[in-house]
Amino acid sequence: MKLSSLGYLIKEGFRNIKQNSFMSIASVLVLVSCLLLSGAAYLVFVNVEYGFEWAYDQNIAIVWATEDVDEAQLTTLGDQLRSLNNVGSVEFISKEQVLQDYTNQIPEATFESLQGENNPMLDAYKVTFVDLNLATQTLDQIRTFENVDDISYYADVAQVLVSIRNAVMKIGGCIIAMLLFVSLFIISNTIKLTVYSRRLEIGIMKSVGATKAFIRLPFMVEGMVLGFCAGSLAFGILYFVYARLITVPIGQIQFVSMSVEGMLATFPVWAELLVGFLLIGTLTGMIGSGISIGRYLKEESGVSVD
Amino acid sequence: MIEFRGVHKTYDNGTKALRDVNINIEKGEFVFIVGSSGAGKSTFLKLIMREEVPNAGEVIVNGYKLSKLKRREIPYFRRTMGIVFQDFRLIPTMNVFDNVAFAMRVTGASKREVRKRVPYILGLVGLQNKARCFPQELSGGEQQRVSLARALVNNPSLIIADEPTGNIDPEMSYEIMELLTEINRRGTTILVVTHEHDLVQAFKRRVIVIDGGTVVSDVPQEDNAETPPTAGSDVVSDVLDTIQETAAPETDPVDAVLADFASDYKANGGDAQ
Repeated sequence: MKLSSLGYLIKEGFRNIKQNSFMSIASVLVLVSCLLLSGAAYLVFVNVEYGFEWAYDQNIAIVWATEDVDEAQLTTLGDQLRSLNNVGSVEFISKEQVLQDYTNQIPEATFESLQGENNPMLDAYKVTFVDLNLATQTLDQIRTFENVDDISYYADVAQVLVSIRNAVMKIGGCIIAMLLFVSLFIISNTIKLTVYSRRLEIGIMKSVGATKAFIRLPFMVEGMVLGFCAGSLAFGILYFVYARLITVPIGQIQFVSMSVEGMLATFPVWAELLVGFLLIGTLTGMIGSGISIGRYLKEESGVSVD
Repeated sequence: MIEFRGVHKTYDNGTKALRDVNINIEKGEFVFIVGSSGAGKSTFLKLIMREEVPNAGEVIVNGYKLSKLKRREIPYFRRTMGIVFQDFRLIPTMNVFDNVAFAMRVTGASKREVRKRVPYILGLVGLQNKARCFPQELSGGEQQRVSLARALVNNPSLIIADEPTGNIDPEMSYEIMELLTEINRRGTTILVVTHEHDLVQAFKRRVIVIDGGTVVSDVPQEDNAETPPTAGSDVVSDVLDTIQETAAPETDPVDAVLADFASDYKANGGDAQ
């Protein structure tokens, strides 16, 4: 195909959109809705993934020593822990360090009165397991050691959270796939209407010797432009709603604000979403229109001389 | 130019559209195809345009053996012919210039080539002042002339006119036929499917009569010019008698256009460029 023809055909694609402006706007809006839902599902998934990230690291247990333990007993406990087969590493955390960690997390709280001998925290050992499947056995062994007050271990919770995350992923994936299919259908239908409204032109094109590519291209341009516009609009709306309407107000709420930092308003995710929306929108438009015009050309093989 | 060798065509619903058709149309001929409704004329044209393929026999057009033509070659084959439809088939959202230019665009012509050729062709059909008009602003005759211009613009060796005067008044019909005659005089093969008795008799050309899917009469031009039809004349008469007779128009302004056409053509050394 010549370059001059390519320019002409791209212009024809835009002309199609203008001539069928009502249908074009309607299909863009429907496509935007589908992309918005898909994008929202994706954001939920990513947030869940991020929030549960720590759950993946739940091969760690905190072994709290008793309150009255002395240094020698602490050392013995540490050696006992290291001697276990399923223990990869053991790290001592002093009660002063534990208090400091709390102070860092809740800056407004005052712990000055709890320094020195008034420190209510306990010394602890951070134990990393080698095999999570043997964690329960190992914990049972640790409970038999002297000077062990309590063990903090979130594996059970982590398992539940991982299950939730997997379910969200599957459901989100199904929703996204379904919405993409609907988008394809919508675009395909819109282009079908355009093709039908231009059937006279198509018939004439065939009679004067237009190739299938020549006939197809304007409709594919139309589909791609509609898809691209829908992708841009969907991204804009999602960004505004999430970044301005959800994240900021939630950040104002006390105690919740610290967890908001974990919510993903970060550039990499938005960049992914933008590229994804534009790509999916454009591809959906291209494929949908390709299907429509391809089907029409196959069905209407003639020039119709009657 | 066009050759039908033992062509049979039966549609899927069992309709025998053409039976053992053998026709040879030479380059530069002007041929009328006549027949009643359902005789097989449309099928005849569809086979020439490669819209349909015969069940048996061979159709050869412009050197192309149509049964051997690959699908991707069909558009290039169709560029060797121009088609004029009964209902004009002009795009209502495009003006006259764009309607004609459209046919050039399809073949990949550049803007420069279009700007040079289209006004020339519009001049040939007498519509140089109507380039910016839209089809709905034109009379039936003018619309058909646009359709003719579109058929001519790519300089085809064959023009197929399917009932070109079917939707226009008798006065304009003669104009169109005169234009076709002039085009034929320059070497383009013309095939006209028509019901119009007066035109067939007025223009004294080769007449092929199709009835019931078979060629019942093939009267050469010379015979038409001097004697009444003989073989198959009953059918010819029956067919043509169904058309209401109309009075022949007086001499009309198209003579001036044709004179311009002839002198332009001559000035350009007989080349339609």
